[in-house]
Amino acid sequence: MSDGGTARPVRPRPRLRTLGITAGLLAFTVFAANEVGFDASTSWEVWTNPLWEMFWPIPWDWVLDRSNVLDPLVETFQIAILATIIGCGLALPISFAMSRLTAPNRPTYLVSRSVMNVVRAVPDLFWAKLLVTAVGIGAFAGTWALSIFSLAVMVKLFSETIDNADPRPLEAARASGSRHLPAIRTGVLPTVLPEYVAYALYVFELNIRASIVLGLVGAGGVGRVLEAQRQFFRFDRVLGILLIVFVAVFVIEQVSVALRKRLV
Amino acid sequence: MIRFDDVSVTYRGGVQALRGLDLTIEDGEFVVIVGLSGAGKSTLLRALNGLVPATGGSITVDGAEVVGASAAELRALRSQIGMIFQTFNLVNRTSVLNNVLMGRLGTVPAWRSTLGLWPADDRERAMQALERVGIVEKAYVRASNLSGGQQQRVGIARALVQEPSVMLADEPVASLDPVTSRQVMGDLRRINRDLGITTIVNLHYLDLAREFGNRLVGLRDGELVFDGDIADVDDDTFMEIYGRAISDDDLVGTEDDLT
Amino acid sequence: MTVTHTPSTDSRPPPPKGVRGRRALLALALLVGGAWSLTGLDITLARVLDAPADAWDIFKRLWPPAMDEALDRGVIGKVFESVYIAWVGTIIGAVLSLPLAFLAATNVAPRWIRIPVRQLFNAIRAVPELIVAVIFIPITGLGPWAGTLAIGLHSVGTLGKWATEAIEGVDTGPLEAVEATGGRWVSGMRWGVLPQIMPTVASFWLFRFEINVRASAVLGMIGAGGVGAELVSQLMFRNFPAVGAVLGITVLVVLTIDTVSAAMRRRIIAGAARTSGPDLDADRNAEALANLTGFRR
Repeated sequence: MSDGGTARPVRPRPRLRTLGITAGLLAFTVFAANEVGFDASTSWEVWTNPLWEMFWPIPWDWVLDRSNVLDPLVETFQIAILATIIGCGLALPISFAMSRLTAPNRPTYLVSRSVMNVVRAVPDLFWAKLLVTAVGIGAFAGTWALSIFSLAVMVKLFSETIDNADPRPLEAARASGSRHLPAIRTGVLPTVLPEYVAYALYVFELNIRASIVLGLVGAGGVGRVLEAQRQFFRFDRVLGILLIVFVAVFVIEQVSVALRKRLV
Repeated sequence: MIRFDDVSVTYRGGVQALRGLDLTIEDGEFVVIVGLSGAGKSTLLRALNGLVPATGGSITVDGAEVVGASAAELRALRSQIGMIFQTFNLVNRTSVLNNVLMGRLGTVPAWRSTLGLWPADDRERAMQALERVGIVEKAYVRASNLSGGQQQRVGIARALVQEPSVMLADEPVASLDPVTSRQVMGDLRRINRDLGITTIVNLHYLDLAREFGNRLVGLRDGELVFDGDIADVDDDTFMEIYGRAISDDDLVGTEDDLT
Repeated sequence: MTVTHTPSTDSRPPPPKGVRGRRALLALALLVGGAWSLTGLDITLARVLDAPADAWDIFKRLWPPAMDEALDRGVIGKVFESVYIAWVGTIIGAVLSLPLAFLAATNVAPRWIRIPVRQLFNAIRAVPELIVAVIFIPITGLGPWAGTLAIGLHSVGTLGKWATEAIEGVDTGPLEAVEATGGRWVSGMRWGVLPQIMPTVASFWLFRFEINVRASAVLGMIGAGGVGAELVSQLMFRNFPAVGAVLGITVLVVLTIDTVSAAMRRRIIAGAARTSGPDLDADRNAEALANLTGFRR
């Protein structure tokens, strides 16, 4: 079958556009690296800096004293629970409103999508800081901020699930004359409910971690203690707090993963 | 020369895929292996190039022992053995030429092949291999844009570029239609005749086995139950090997059957 | 009188017990958890009712945003600085995570190296960027480089995990082909695995970049470069129109980046799927991406 007469093809030249994009990205990277003060040598020095000694030894008596770390940790936990309930709870109707499949009408769809896009575009801690200024320092602001964050994450995940859900049960429900809300209740909800629960547990895990960080802006919980100690340069306590927190987070996450497996 | 000496292969789950296999294949032979799925055909081929470790016995290829060979020895051995697969196993996202060049991975230094800096004479070999299977004009086409038959010929070119002494084909035409199947089998026969490469082909299509085979080896439940000239084979022999009557599924048929 | 045949009810299956009970348990757990949290945080109805009014009061004052003031003070530059931090950080994360991911995948790496690397990824992922920055700043000093390092390090964890999952989903056929030609493990990764995962992995990198832009804005709040510091100082001075400006510009930039990045990601995945033959790995990649899109951090 070999045809000795077939000419060999010429190697194609790389497309100008691909080359252009690659060169552009490279140039941008170099520029950005310069702007942020990229200094490869410091990445080495970081690990050998004598200041690390300030993190050791960990003062366990202070760390394990209930009022210092463990109580605020409980507060963090409570913030996470509430924020998950509120955020995921609100996310349910809003996700339906902003999903192509189940939106009742076009204006609702557009408005809810736009609002959620803007909400998501604001970094989560910016919300926290704003709310702290508005309603005062403490767990109250933290719960609010985290609820908004949960809402944003949940809505993104869940509305995509709804978009990809099988449209046929909904069609069937509508065809039998059902009104919009009951149609969704019977036609779509059962299909997407397992995913909703799985996402909610995932959001809960995120919230546990996020609420630690919230405290850094004064929004309550163990993060506040962390920030206070940081400002006093008590890095040994900082490390102690972090260790306790990560153990707690790890335990909670294992439980959550196990629950997720059993519920879905 | 390839020699299987009392070879057994037992998989980790306890499944015994080959038992006590004795087989000798001289240079330049064209051997067709038939048998039911699970009879051990795939295992036999993969034991030969060490992709599946044999758990007993000895396998020698031109004097080199496969069983228990070190990783480096296996790599050297494999660079001399070309293999083509039922699912082609091409890298879909890259060009035909790059796919063929992959055949040289056993000899080109790793840093050169990783960066895509293939030596010039390897590029020449690749082009020649593509010419031999008749699809050189597709050299720079993305592999997934080819038809099944063309993709398999790329697979053959990839094996050829190794300049192997042995060619293994694991159900090379099972995914192809009758016409293309015959083309590919024809290519394999031609390569065996023109280049003298020892060729071992797994087939489950009995009519193809009869059309293209020289020597037929029959496996059943991991044991060798037939080894002889294709001329001596009739339907009863097949029934012995298969343990049941021949059905339409065992025949690739002709294009008229494709209704 | 004719006897009508009613089907015997003995053959009806009993209603399944599990689901109802589980649902009730879940609802109870939520109720208890919620109530405990509410009381623990001292959230009374009064506070809940007052809060929206207080918040609205503040939010009202964000408008109209003081744009010229912001421009004068170089807020736009600061927002861009956040973008640069996110970009370089993502690249650091990508470059470090990809080789490590090969060492963490179950189908290509041996146990003794796989387990430590996977645990490394988990450990890194567990630490939010902010905490990393908190730890780094005393060492590296304040400024964008601390933020970049923090984002880069944290991204290694997430990108590593996602890449590992992509690797574990590949079609092992081409890998087997590489082995059969006598190629080494590295060649198997380069030719058998990498081409299959590249579209998905590139998509992950872009997605991570989107998240990192927000993260770097936040890092500014503790002095690790970027626009966060602006927000904090303006809030401290209660200069709400300026705060509005900072928020407005940030949102605009973030939305633009999100849109462009989403479009690029779609093109990458679509380009990967553009074939005329059976291309199983594109579906696999799309599947993996669908599962992982939206799973941030």
